[in-house]
Amino acid sequence: MTTVVEYPNSVAGLYQYHDVIGLLSAGGPGFSGPVSVALGPDGLLHVASRANPNQPEAVRVTRCSIEGDYVGEFCGWGDAPGQFIWVTAIAFGPDGSLYLADENTHRISRFTSEGEFLGCWGEFGDGFGQMNRPSGMAFASDGTLVVADALNHRIQRFTADGIPLATWGEYGDGPGQFNMPWGVSVDSGGAVYVSDWRNNRVQKFEADGRLMAEFDGRDGGDGFARPNGIAVDGEGRIYVCDWWNDRVQVLDADGRVIDTLIGHSGTSKWARTFLDANPDIEEKLNKATQNIELKRRFYRPSAVAVSKDGFVFVADCYRHRVQIYRGL
Amino acid sequence: MQIESERALMAHLLRRAGFGATPAELDTYCEWGYEGTVEWLLYPEAQPALEEDIIERYYIDWKESRNIEGALTETVYRMNGNAGVRPLQEKIALFWHGVFATGLAKVLHEKTMLNQIDLFRQYGLGSFQELLRQLARDPAMIFWLDNNFNHKSAINENWGRELLELFSMGVGMNGHANYTEDDVQEAARAFTGWTIDDDNVASIPYGKTPWRFRYDPEDHDDGTKTFLGETGNFDGDDIVKIVCRQPSTARFVSRHLYNFFVADDVQVPAWQDTPPADPRAIALLEEEYFRSGYDIRSMLRLMFYSDFFKSEGVRFARVKSPAEVVVGTLHLVGDFKFPRVGFMDTALECRYMNQDLLNPPSVEGWHTGKEWIDSGSMVERINFVADNLGDSDHPGVRSIVETLMSRRPDATKIVDGCLELLGSVALREDNRSALVAQAEQALDAGAGTEAVILNALRMIGSTREYQFA
Repeated sequence: MTTVVEYPNSVAGLYQYHDVIGLLSAGGPGFSGPVSVALGPDGLLHVASRANPNQPEAVRVTRCSIEGDYVGEFCGWGDAPGQFIWVTAIAFGPDGSLYLADENTHRISRFTSEGEFLGCWGEFGDGFGQMNRPSGMAFASDGTLVVADALNHRIQRFTADGIPLATWGEYGDGPGQFNMPWGVSVDSGGAVYVSDWRNNRVQKFEADGRLMAEFDGRDGGDGFARPNGIAVDGEGRIYVCDWWNDRVQVLDADGRVIDTLIGHSGTSKWARTFLDANPDIEEKLNKATQNIELKRRFYRPSAVAVSKDGFVFVADCYRHRVQIYRGL
Repeated sequence: MQIESERALMAHLLRRAGFGATPAELDTYCEWGYEGTVEWLLYPEAQPALEEDIIERYYIDWKESRNIEGALTETVYRMNGNAGVRPLQEKIALFWHGVFATGLAKVLHEKTMLNQIDLFRQYGLGSFQELLRQLARDPAMIFWLDNNFNHKSAINENWGRELLELFSMGVGMNGHANYTEDDVQEAARAFTGWTIDDDNVASIPYGKTPWRFRYDPEDHDDGTKTFLGETGNFDGDDIVKIVCRQPSTARFVSRHLYNFFVADDVQVPAWQDTPPADPRAIALLEEEYFRSGYDIRSMLRLMFYSDFFKSEGVRFARVKSPAEVVVGTLHLVGDFKFPRVGFMDTALECRYMNQDLLNPPSVEGWHTGKEWIDSGSMVERINFVADNLGDSDHPGVRSIVETLMSRRPDATKIVDGCLELLGSVALREDNRSALVAQAEQALDAGAGTEAVILNALRMIGSTREYQFA
């Protein structure tokens, strides 16, 4: 695994594996259970790690270049303002600040991209504007923020400073209903895409919440199994982290599956540095031939982001890395 | 009185076959009757499983657990999650974990250890022979007892020895040795080539992968062996078959089951020379072992229906293990039935009370009975139970308070009601009287009924009796 340098294509050949950034680490270059990835206005990749309670310092947002150069990070385990524990999503607002959802405190916090705390809002509850475990977040082009309010089984829209504007959805598996929605994305026309996690589908809505379409991710085989992270590119292609199937499905604007990414990770810069310093570990890894292919694949991909120039960034959660594909 | 007596028996059954029961669950079990409840307990696979997607969704660090604390936390979460749904499946997994004690101090691969606990859930109520067959293929056990270093050219007898000494026959019975050193070496020869695939490295850079069993025929000694008086070209499965046919194995399994489910016995190393406390009960279990074809479920069925299990004399006669204290209390108060932050600190209470799950002190497992108790663990036990039973934010406590408040209770009814709703806890009369007097004093001083109920719950949780199952 560790010496392979390959750039394989995706299943349908529309994408090519490009690079990987990552390494299991509780601090510095590396991630620990990355659950969200976002491109900042400064061109840097921001990756939120969920980590574990034994390493509270590892719950953090890491900043790096898309070439894999570590820039910095910020963390703050706790439930006081400016702190977070169960981070679920990050997204950049129209003013360039970074929004972070924490499903422990049921709060949205706002930071500068360097991590300076700017403010927060949100409280537990099922009333208008209250939340019960906010999950995915995405900004619309009008500057409003769409939030998956997971355990209230609904979508909420806020102004960028947290004033609730609208809500839609309820618990259920019928059209427009939700069962623990997770990821959200908004396309350039304002349509909202929701990964309806426990209903194994993606639903597409008008900006006002009217249901437009429902996609099951079937491509002749299995459909979505607990879809979570979702993104829409400039051409209307929809990228869905098909979490339990360990793949990313790419759909056209009509919801047809047009390609599948399965993960082709090589060795990241950070991993290379680590292995060069620990050749005994690399030797053992290379001897464990049964795991080489396994460790290249996605293992619970949890979030996806797409750049304007066609790069696809997938948070490969249990492998502690971000795999990068580029459109062909 | 009859109803109360049935309820007390049901509470006893659930303390032993599970982790206790809530008042509402006891209502249900009493409707089903004793027989219906026993049969429900014995077939846990017929009940819904935990929702794995929910667990993975919130506790993402557990799927490929990377530290001992995380693995321990997951184990306790599953026990608590299943305590009202599949209680005996979790209890039997805990039982076998104590018998086939394997530890992360050496294995250092959390997911592989957790897979072993899953093995106990899956096979723990079935054939003992099949359980041993699976155990011999379990990567955590193979690594724990060095069978990956057991080669045709140079045997390592660690697994072969412990299989006989600690996992099936025991060193001796009725004052006699059960096997010889030659038997140990011949058993080891039969398991050569039973090894694992692993990458045996740290989590870095991209996480671990579970270990897998692998049989290497090139490294297997397929020569003739003589084991326990039988001669043949035995492999590991043959050794397991011969082991399971031994009366000493029937005795060993029966004593373990009795010690765990009925009443505290002396520690395992003393079994060679110390006869069972209840020889008649052990004889019945041994008979059922052979009659049923080594079926653990059948042995438990016989046990749960027996007079020796139902007897008043064995109720509250076993010191609860720390896992029973922690999970039993969590289940009663209804906490952590859905993921939220903070469970690790709660789960680690087992460690603080001297039961470091997935990390037993040695291959001999934990000593039980009074050996659970020392001054430090006693304080942990009392504080944990009292803190939880006195917290009216817990739904289970809230429910008890509301039930008792609706009865407009005086001091006696508060104490007796708390004892009933905590699972028909039988206090010594002087302890009960002291609690009633204290409640009377508080009520006379103007304390609110709810506060008096909460204090009574805390005090009962602090009693000696609550520490017994």
